[in-house]
Amino acid sequence: MDFGYLDSWIEEQVGREVVEQTGTGYRNIWVVAETLDGALAPATVQTMGQARDMADQIGVYLFGVLLGEQAVPLAQELIACGADKVLAAGTPTLNEYQPETYTKALAGLVNQYRPEILLLAATALGNDLAPRLAQRLNTGLVSHCVKVEIDMSERLLLGTFRILGGEMYNTLACPEARPQMATLQPGYFRTPNQDAYRSGEVQEVEVDLSGAAGRLTWVRLDAAVDKPAVPLRKARIVVSAGRGLGDAEGFALAEQLAAALGGVVAGTRGALDEGWIAEEQVVGIGGESVAPDLYIACGLSGDIHHYFGIRNSKLVIAINSDEKAPIMKAANYAVVGDARQILPAVVQALTK
Amino acid sequence: MKIIVLIKQVLDPTGILVRRDKEKMFINREEYILGPDSKAALEAALRLKDAGGAEVVALSMGKPRAEDALREALAMGCDAACLVSDEALNQADIPMAASVLAAAVQKLGGADLIVAGRESGDTGAGQIGSRLAEALNYAQVTDVHVLTGEPGAVQATRRWGSGYATVQAMLPAVVTVAPEAFPARYAHGARIMNAYREWQVTTWNAADLGLDEAALKPLLAFRGESFPLPLPVGEQVKGAPASAAHEMITALKLQKVIG
Amino acid sequence: MDFSFPKEYQLFRRMVSDFAENEVRPLAKAVDREHRVPLETVKKAAALGLMGVPFPQKYGGMGGGEMGYCIMMEELGRVCTSTATVIGAHTGIAAMSIYLDGTEEQKQKFLVPLASGRLIGAFGLTEAQAGSDAAAIKTTAVRDGNHFVINGAKVFITNGDIAGIMTVMAVTDPSLGAYGGITAFIVETDTPGFSIGSLENKMGIRGSSTAECVFQDVRVPKENVLGQFGAGFLTFMKSLDIGRASLGAACLGGAQAALEGCMEWTMAREQFGVPVATKQSVYFMIADMAAEIEALRSMIYRTAWLIDTHQPHIKEAAICKLYGSEVASRCVHKAMQIHGALGYSRDYWVERAYRDARIAEIFEGTNEIQRVVLASNLFRPYGMRIPS
Repeated sequence: MDFGYLDSWIEEQVGREVVEQTGTGYRNIWVVAETLDGALAPATVQTMGQARDMADQIGVYLFGVLLGEQAVPLAQELIACGADKVLAAGTPTLNEYQPETYTKALAGLVNQYRPEILLLAATALGNDLAPRLAQRLNTGLVSHCVKVEIDMSERLLLGTFRILGGEMYNTLACPEARPQMATLQPGYFRTPNQDAYRSGEVQEVEVDLSGAAGRLTWVRLDAAVDKPAVPLRKARIVVSAGRGLGDAEGFALAEQLAAALGGVVAGTRGALDEGWIAEEQVVGIGGESVAPDLYIACGLSGDIHHYFGIRNSKLVIAINSDEKAPIMKAANYAVVGDARQILPAVVQALTK
Repeated sequence: MKIIVLIKQVLDPTGILVRRDKEKMFINREEYILGPDSKAALEAALRLKDAGGAEVVALSMGKPRAEDALREALAMGCDAACLVSDEALNQADIPMAASVLAAAVQKLGGADLIVAGRESGDTGAGQIGSRLAEALNYAQVTDVHVLTGEPGAVQATRRWGSGYATVQAMLPAVVTVAPEAFPARYAHGARIMNAYREWQVTTWNAADLGLDEAALKPLLAFRGESFPLPLPVGEQVKGAPASAAHEMITALKLQKVIG
Repeated sequence: MDFSFPKEYQLFRRMVSDFAENEVRPLAKAVDREHRVPLETVKKAAALGLMGVPFPQKYGGMGGGEMGYCIMMEELGRVCTSTATVIGAHTGIAAMSIYLDGTEEQKQKFLVPLASGRLIGAFGLTEAQAGSDAAAIKTTAVRDGNHFVINGAKVFITNGDIAGIMTVMAVTDPSLGAYGGITAFIVETDTPGFSIGSLENKMGIRGSSTAECVFQDVRVPKENVLGQFGAGFLTFMKSLDIGRASLGAACLGGAQAALEGCMEWTMAREQFGVPVATKQSVYFMIADMAAEIEALRSMIYRTAWLIDTHQPHIKEAAICKLYGSEVASRCVHKAMQIHGALGYSRDYWVERAYRDARIAEIFEGTNEIQRVVLASNLFRPYGMRIPS
């Protein structure tokens, strides 16, 4: 029999591995690990914690995957986080992130070992790599998941993510294509306890990177970039000062909190009269209207005139020693106490 | 340089109200706009055009009304616009969208650079850039905050780790941009007046792109919507400064304002 | 019959609305407080083609017609009446007079820099003794070889001190009166002999300048005669007739802003345990505002359509100005009542809106003149002449 027709069919799949995509034949959960400053990235550790729970739930193994020479020594840490087995691809070419080489390396490993679920943390690397890998594998990917769970009746990964600025969630699943991929949003998953005595298998693997050439030249790392100025009415985080802060020293505490949160400073008319803020920073019906994700009102009583300017804020936290102040009933959280003492405590907790 | 900008027409989020307590989403005002993420992508591309000359083509997949978004892209400064519209694509998932857009890019003759917003805005998956780069075998750089042209390459400063990194990517490449880093320009009034007259928007359907049944099968299945818990109102936090501060920070973390 | 705006106009409205919100509104309070013209805004507007909205693109304009111009004036009027006045006087009467009556050479020489916003325009009609009685002007223009020498003083000229080009009405033959004895001229303000006298200290629209313009032997070439010699009165009336519609549009914007502000306030403000919006005395006021605004809106854009389709529009434009200015005044009056004592405070937008709205019933032809125009147009078909 002449099977030549199959050759041309395979040829048509140029650049794509022909992957068997039946429901059976794919097993186990994988986490592609990322390193940061010589250790496992915290986001990877969180992902491992979640993955471990799911592996226990469906009764499969959890694999950790490490890429690059500098990552291989972290295999034991990965096991401590819950990996049963670690695939360590220590090829020097993988020391530096290149989408093409990482995609080829992981696709090769996936096609060889066939995990049913493949997870990455939704970090800059994960967000860059996961979709390219999913496209290579012709599979579905649910990104920025704030929750993942297994639908046991169908053995499906359900990924839940935020839409509409976090006001709603949508859940998606990948019923047929394998592996089911998801990226997990850092900060939404608990950091597991690491058990240094946990044992697991470490396997050093070779990956075929032929034909995959990285096209990025890494010029330098930058601590920060210049950001375009954002007017107060569009600021995401606002720390607002009222007369209750007492004096310029008290006001400086509000400024410190703003800096620690990456937000901007505003205030009441009282703060303007005290000379702490400029006219453009006054919030209220006579000043600016703001609609930030977070508004922290420090030492201000917040009557209707002020509240009118902040009514579209998502989350309002008020700090005031007077629990009967109008703002304390309107805010989401009302911290009763002296702002001059609470603010430094908050800044300290944030920056440690 | 030939640049293709991916744009998407989205429902204006300011017309949407979500009542967490009622677990319902209300569309008070149904208006479709050129999303801010798309506008940022256009801005990034147009800046490259201003700096060194480039042909900028806007490309979108959507319902026929998406033509209005493409007209706005033309008004902002694009040289041409292309719409892929088909009934079969109305419920497209992300992998389908990537296949469709890749086919459209190829039918447009490819590009030196493809620019997209980091996320599309409404569902915010952030996958199209990398998927497209894979489908076309282009280089890729995502979440870019600074973008300049070099001979045969682009230089991009992108989010990396806990900071940023500057890379040079060989062309052809796909770049996705951070919306906050590219505040969009206003379209010039005269171009707006001419937007529906001076240009033809090339329109293709699935058949025009040679897409068959297999390419139009979704990989993802919708499994429900849900809502976060309503925020408390007037919930008091008391105690010594250190413990009050701790509670406050826990609340901030709970509400996902800080990591 | 399709009452919707064509798509490019919808897109234009969104752009202007964004521009107004991001570039104009943040300065509204300051320009009023500091009594200064927002020249930085004018520059940004010029870069986007907004200083020549109604004029064809071949003259450096935007090609938006009266429809586009009214849309812009409404969106600007919504955030800052002062800015709307600066751009309105420049576009709607000054540059407009050159567009309507200028020769091709004059359009190239004077309309192009105005439409592109490189120069600002002003309309020099009013004098101390000639307001509604425009024909009583005393500024003279005497022929001297290839020039005319202009002497006199104009008052209450918007943009007078920042204009590069001014269209000026002057008496060329005292014996002939209004029809035949008055001619319109285009004057470049850097011509020797032109100077600015005092600037008015106004109640409202303090972000626009209103200047006394003094002409002392100002020589203009005869090529600068605008329109037919001796028919200056007609030239100016034509421009004022059209300008009315867009002034009505600015009033519409101001009224709309008052309505929106009142609605937001009354939903948030609680008295007697409930939002005041639920109190009948309040929501009746809001309902009345909304009804008038909708009626005005239809009037404005239908008039713009009449103008753009070259149909008779004098009566309609007069109604736009007459009704628009009164709607705006009623709306800001209600807004102040709704806001109570808060509305009376200089820290809030309400009293500024109240001060800004008042001028609309006075300038660009008082509402009494509008009634004269309207009545005379109503009775003319019956053969009845209404004298001014």
